[in-house]
Formats: sequence, structure tokens, C-alpha cells
Amino acid sequence: MSPTLRHSLARSTPETSSGTGAIAYLRVVDTEAYADWESVYRENVGRLYRLMYSRVGNRPDAEDLTSEVFRTALRPLRLGSSKGEVRAYLLTTARTVLASHWRRSLGLSVTSIDPEVDAVYLAEPSGSDPPSTAPNRANQILAALPDRYRRILELRFLEACSIREAAQGMDVSVGNAKVLQHRALRMAAKVAEELGQ
Amino acid sequence: MTKHRLAAYLDALADGKRPDSFDADPEDVDVLRTAISLRSARPGDDVPDDGFVDRLYEELAEEANPRVVSINQRGRVRRRRTALAAVAASLVLVGGTAAVTESLSQGAVTPAAVPAPHGSSLRTGTFETADGEVMGQIVASQGNPSWVYLNVAGTNYNGTIVCKLQVKDGSTIATGVFGLHGGKGVLSKSVRVDVGQLRGAKLVTPSGAVVASATFA
Repeated sequence: MSPTLRHSLARSTPETSSGTGAIAYLRVVDTEAYADWESVYRENVGRLYRLMYSRVGNRPDAEDLTSEVFRTALRPLRLGSSKGEVRAYLLTTARTVLASHWRRSLGLSVTSIDPEVDAVYLAEPSGSDPPSTAPNRANQILAALPDRYRRILELRFLEACSIREAAQGMDVSVGNAKVLQHRALRMAAKVAEELGQ
Repeated sequence: MTKHRLAAYLDALADGKRPDSFDADPEDVDVLRTAISLRSARPGDDVPDDGFVDRLYEELAEEANPRVVSINQRGRVRRRRTALAAVAASLVLVGGTAAVTESLSQGAVTPAAVPAPHGSSLRTGTFETADGEVMGQIVASQGNPSWVYLNVAGTNYNGTIVCKLQVKDGSTIATGVFGLHGGKGVLSKSVRVDVGQLRGAKLVTPSGAVVASATFA
């Protein structure tokens, strides 16, 4: 049964039923709506952060944007709404916050949030997070690159090596490592486009 | 110069730092997106830091009621519960009978003191310009009375804006007037309309020019 339908049934029950109906009413509402804003926060903060992180690729910005979503969203939020409605609202807010971030920082949109497609990020309670799809996407891109391009990107983006450490690891100068990284990213972008990412 | 800024941005991403802003070239978007995609695959960083989660929690609670929440650990649990009750109350109350507010900033959660109905239905929409750029959002909630909340950010327009709600029967309701300063503005207002019958909303200037429009999901 959909949350909306169950919500409607819950609302219609108390007026027509005995005390048993009233108990059922309370139980159904409890399962469909957040009890308090703390529940909204605790259940969604990790998943919203993960969504933002996947869109900006760095922790400081992901934290700021997650904060902005909650500060913006909690103001008009009504706890009588169903969990699904609250999550959809959080995603809509996240979409706006991310779009504003890109306008401020780069003047154009690099990544975006689609509330329908990205609903999976908030679909389940936290604590049972599905595995991230980011490693698979990255592996697909890297697998299509020449060895040296793949290696410099692995060292820099996946293995947390500084440019100096990456240069040492590949036995090239720091300058060469920078050029290699630049060219590798250009080719990776073409591969990603071909893969439809 | 832009290429140097792009390279610095990509290096910051790889190093896990906050990249500096710059005016990016549209042809660099694919590279930026790919770098973000690769960086997002690094194990561990897609989980929020516990310190961040707790800090934001405390900030949200304190914004709702600064006199209740203290950094003093002693008695924190009791005060936290009180603060949460205040925030929870404010969340339910916003949009109540007398909660008609206009604000020019996206400020903190503000406790209200007016009872509001429960069991509402929430509908949301995203304001977009004619060329598809996301400018803000609108939330409408069914109740007695119903209410709408919207925020706008990032538009170049500064000045007075009128929000018009569009109903499925083709009629239009002028919902409220608010100001955009620095491209930002917020409107929160009660409305006497069946939220389920709303189709969309438009933001128009006093001269009638449409700044952005939204369709309710």
C-alpha cells in the first residue's frame, strides 16, 4: 500500500471506529510519519551527505551543502507529512541548494540532482545504506584508459597520493605528472561521455 | 589563467580540499564532472564524519532555541530534549493561522507560537527559468489554513516579486509579494486553497515578466 493511501486511511479511521480503531490510527500514523525533527535529521543526514558528496567530490563542500539543505528544509517542514513526502521535499531542497552552489562557485552547472532518479539515496532508513555505485563507474572509466593515464588517476583520485608522491610512484617529474593527470582527465571525460555517465 | 584555475580546482579535488571558485569554461564541465566522479569513488569519504553530524545537530537545535541548548555537557540531555521540543513545535507551527511572514534572508529555524493543524499533505515544486536553470523551490501544505513556503536564490533580478499559484481549473491566485535582495528571497504565507488542486506557481515582476515557474509534483 502506498504511503499516501495508508495516510488517507489513517485519517478516516478515528471518526468512524471504536477505541480499537483509534489505536490503529495512531499506530499507522507513527509508522508513516517522522515523530520529530530529530528523526528526520538522523535518518537522512548520512544519505543526504552521500548524495552531495557524489555531486561535488569533496568533504568540505558536501558538509556545507548538507547543512544548507537541513537549514533550508527544516524551516517550513511539517511533521504531519509522511516520510515519503518529507524525503521528496529534502531532495527538492537538495536540488536547489546544489544548483545554487554551482552558480556561486563555477558559474555553471557541473552536476545536478534529479528528485525522481536520486530518490534511491533517501529511500531506506540509514543504517542499511546500499553499496555506492561510484566505484563501479570509476572502474569502468579507468579500465578504458591507457596504463599510464589509468595509473596517474588511480594514484591521485583513489589512493590519495599527492602529486609529488604520484610522480615518484610513476618515476616521472612533478611537472610531467601534472601534464599526465591533465591529459588523463581529458581522455577519461571522453570515455565517461561514451559510457553515458 | 582559466586553465590554471581549472588545474588548481582539480588538484584540490584530488587532495581532498575545498576547491577555490572560478569562472569555469563550459568546455571544462565534462572534465570537472569526471574528476568528481573519480574522487567520489575513493573509499571512506562518502560517509559523513561523526563530528560533523553531531555539530550540525547541535547547531540546528541551538538555532531554534539558543537559550536552551548549551555547550556545557552537564545537563545536555535534558536541555537537548527541551530544544528538540521547541524545534519540533516550530516545524509544525510554521504556516499556522498567524504565521504569515516575509523574509529577505534564509535565516534560522524560527519558533512560532500559533497552533497549526496536523495531517497535512505536502507538495513541492522547483522554480526554473525559461532556459531550465533552477532558481528555487516552493512547498505547499494542505491544512486549515493551507500554506506555501518558497525560497529563491541565484537570480540576477533584485526587487519586488509576486508569487502566483496556478490552479488546475485554470485560475490563478496571487499568493504574496516579497523582495529579492542579492538574488535571494523567501516567502512564507497561509493560503485558502485546496493544495491538491494546485498545478504550479509563477514568480513575476510587478510589470508581469515571468522570472521563474514551477510545477507541483
